Amino acid sequence: MACWLIAVLTAVLVPTGVRAGDSGTESAQPSAGAGDVFRPQAGEFPPLDKAHAYRGELVFVDHANRRGSIRVEGTGVFRANDPHPFAMLPCGIVRYHGATAALRDIPLGTVMHVRGFLPPDPAISAVPVLPVDNKLRDANHNRGAGVFPAENHVLLLEDEISRCLREQKIWRLLELQISNRQGMIAARCESLQGNQAASAAETMTFDAATRIWRGREYLAVDDLIAEGSWPAEGKQNLAGQGVYLGITWKPTPGGIFTRFHISDIWLDEDAVGRTARIQKETHKAFIRSRWIPAWVDSVEYGQFGKAIVTATLFGGIDESLYADLKEGERAMMAPSENTLKHWAGGSAGTSQIASKGPILKVLKSGREPPLGSSGIQITFETDLVTEGIRPTRVVRIRPAAWPDLHVPREEYLQDSRAGHEDRFPTPAIFPTY
Amino acid sequence: MNLFQPGHLIATICFNASLLGGITGVADEPFRPEIGEFPPLEESLSWRGELVFVDHANRRGSIRIQGEGTYFRNSPHPFAMLPCGIVRYHGAPAELRDIPLGTVLHARAYLPPDPQTSAVPVLPVDSRRKNSGYSGAGIYPAENHVLLLEDEPSSCVREGHVWKLQHLEIRDNAGSIVARREAKADSAERADAETMTFDAATRVWRGRECLGIADLVSDGIWPAAGKVVLNDQAVLLGVTWKPTASDVFTRFHVSDIWLDETAMQRAAERQSQSHRAFIRSRWMPAVIDAVEYGKFGRATVTATLFGGMDQSLYDDFRKDISAMMNGVENTLKHTGGSYGPAHMASRGTLVNVTKLPGEIPLGSSGIQIRFETDLIVEGIRPGRVVRVCPGNWPQVNLPREEYIGDGSDPKARFPGPAIFPKY
Repeated sequence: MACWLIAVLTAVLVPTGVRAGDSGTESAQPSAGAGDVFRPQAGEFPPLDKAHAYRGELVFVDHANRRGSIRVEGTGVFRANDPHPFAMLPCGIVRYHGATAALRDIPLGTVMHVRGFLPPDPAISAVPVLPVDNKLRDANHNRGAGVFPAENHVLLLEDEISRCLREQKIWRLLELQISNRQGMIAARCESLQGNQAASAAETMTFDAATRIWRGREYLAVDDLIAEGSWPAEGKQNLAGQGVYLGITWKPTPGGIFTRFHISDIWLDEDAVGRTARIQKETHKAFIRSRWIPAWVDSVEYGQFGKAIVTATLFGGIDESLYADLKEGERAMMAPSENTLKHWAGGSAGTSQIASKGPILKVLKSGREPPLGSSGIQITFETDLVTEGIRPTRVVRIRPAAWPDLHVPREEYLQDSRAGHEDRFPTPAIFPTY
Repeated sequence: MNLFQPGHLIATICFNASLLGGITGVADEPFRPEIGEFPPLEESLSWRGELVFVDHANRRGSIRIQGEGTYFRNSPHPFAMLPCGIVRYHGAPAELRDIPLGTVLHARAYLPPDPQTSAVPVLPVDSRRKNSGYSGAGIYPAENHVLLLEDEPSSCVREGHVWKLQHLEIRDNAGSIVARREAKADSAERADAETMTFDAATRVWRGRECLGIADLVSDGIWPAAGKVVLNDQAVLLGVTWKPTASDVFTRFHVSDIWLDETAMQRAAERQSQSHRAFIRSRWMPAVIDAVEYGKFGRATVTATLFGGMDQSLYDDFRKDISAMMNGVENTLKHTGGSYGPAHMASRGTLVNVTKLPGEIPLGSSGIQIRFETDLIVEGIRPGRVVRVCPGNWPQVNLPREEYIGDGSDPKARFPGPAIFPKY
């Protein structure tokens, strides 16, 4: 009898391992196959082909909670479209100037390309939850359809040049019309290899504030006119000159429904490379201080707090940072939330309550990982696992050798003082129009 | 005489009370800007800090203010721009939306003019003196309504300062620089040296070039590793903040180095062009000085244009040209606007444009216009803020978040502080 009781208690109190997907993990939302509605699952990287694609102007950023608003381009009057709230998925990637970025790096007004999904868990969505068919509904007042998609949880958010570099596309400049250092450019976006049908030509404005990058040079329209590359007045055929464009939006005269504006023109690969390098270094410094995000695949509990944690690192981060996580070297792992905010305890920051220990294994997947994933799985052993390090939960990891830097107040949750609204920010911040 | 006789006691009490009342009466009342007036700069409180959050449509945001203690702990502090408040970036007029998050800004700020309609939290007037634990004092001033908000190069250019680089330490394209901010012209005064970090993302501007630290190293201007004396090299710096080690209370980071005047002027010109286009589409803000009503809706309006804009914009305001004037709120958002700001605006003629004599307070352009209209609209009243558009500016419609609509939602006119989290 006593042995039976001990066996039962052991089975209940000392599980040898818990994996994502077991009962007791966070409740699943309707997944693929439940009707036609796809929702990302906690702990899984959603397939890109299930994403809804749209583009729009970045209008508002709450960078600490990895969310913001975008004015989505639809079929009607662009300027009338209310800013549309979006939130980054925990594994969501932001790209700016051809390199990984954080939302805080992106200037307001930048036109961004989005791959979005329905909220994984509507109950804790940081942005409004909309009817699943909202992208099909006409928004009235000449705004057309598609401007308020329910797919507002973003896996990939990238500016124009990042999209072109990723898809191996380039803008071919066709014609320029200029007067008093401003005017319009007609251009077409097509594949670098020329093996796909080009998009229709698009007319965009430019003005004296448009930045032009050539090699090491930072030029203005004035400079191109002064050196004779562009005329001071009139039209000029640009003969399909291949460039990369930064695109924003400014109010347009003449009752035009939608016309975008060129903020930047990169004239050559050297200029593109230099811009990307600055952004890459900015993000590297950012990750070194905020740690690499990941989610937990499994936890094997030992005794007295010991545990072996397997986690997959999120993607998009510079390779040199992943390379710093080495087998046999010590690391720290701390719980996080879907906003990737840190948990800080006491007065010493994230490190104080992070679990510490050696990295047992670093495995790189041989296949192309899904977007959002690095394809790198680490196994980490600690002598004191903390709450929050559970399957499908988001964590932050850093090599112990990285400097111990303190994140600013708005980027951490402070122990018991943090309420549920700090962990799960509500959509209340977003105005309704 | 017995002072404790009731009559004498009452007289004594009254006399003492009058003394106390007199002392209270002459004690400093906290200064608040008056609606419709440009506040004196000397009444402002100065502080600086890192821009952490922007709600550009409502001209407000949050700044982590530098205090005496550990900087990273300082909660972002909400601020709102006064209607006449000026933003400057790269030495030129700007809007909040132009300023990258993380930029360290200098502020001149006041108590809320009207606490009831404040778009940011209203704090006790002595809040700047309160100690905030590890963060020290000064990080939550009640003076959160800003007249002037400028980045480091703008502050230096305005005050005639430069940063003189003393020495640097570098390794792997990152390190620290020691510099002093001083008067451009030779001066006997020596400011305290400040140590700031830089890294491989720091941009270096030289003439027409945009360089990185790696370029300075490869060009042989800076070493790849080690220390170098910089001999008071005069530059302008862009300053931000990045997380520092726990033993450092406060240390800022260099985001940009402008090595010469040409580089700084080119940056200023880009920003100036950007702001000119912005104002031409949003119209010039102004405050109403007086309204003389005629019959059947006619009126002659006197208004003072707000300051800080590019001169070419003011030059467009000329006598006898057509113009439009629309009421706006303290956030400078247009009323109406669903069909563009021109839809509900009063239309008419600028019958006079004058330059006001004497010293012009910050926030004012010193330019007063007289505008005659045949149909005055609500919102164009003394002390209220308006936007004015000369007839030769392009007619464009504004994005949804920048106009109020029909005004039936008071929160659209007077946004409350609820957007700001509490820490």
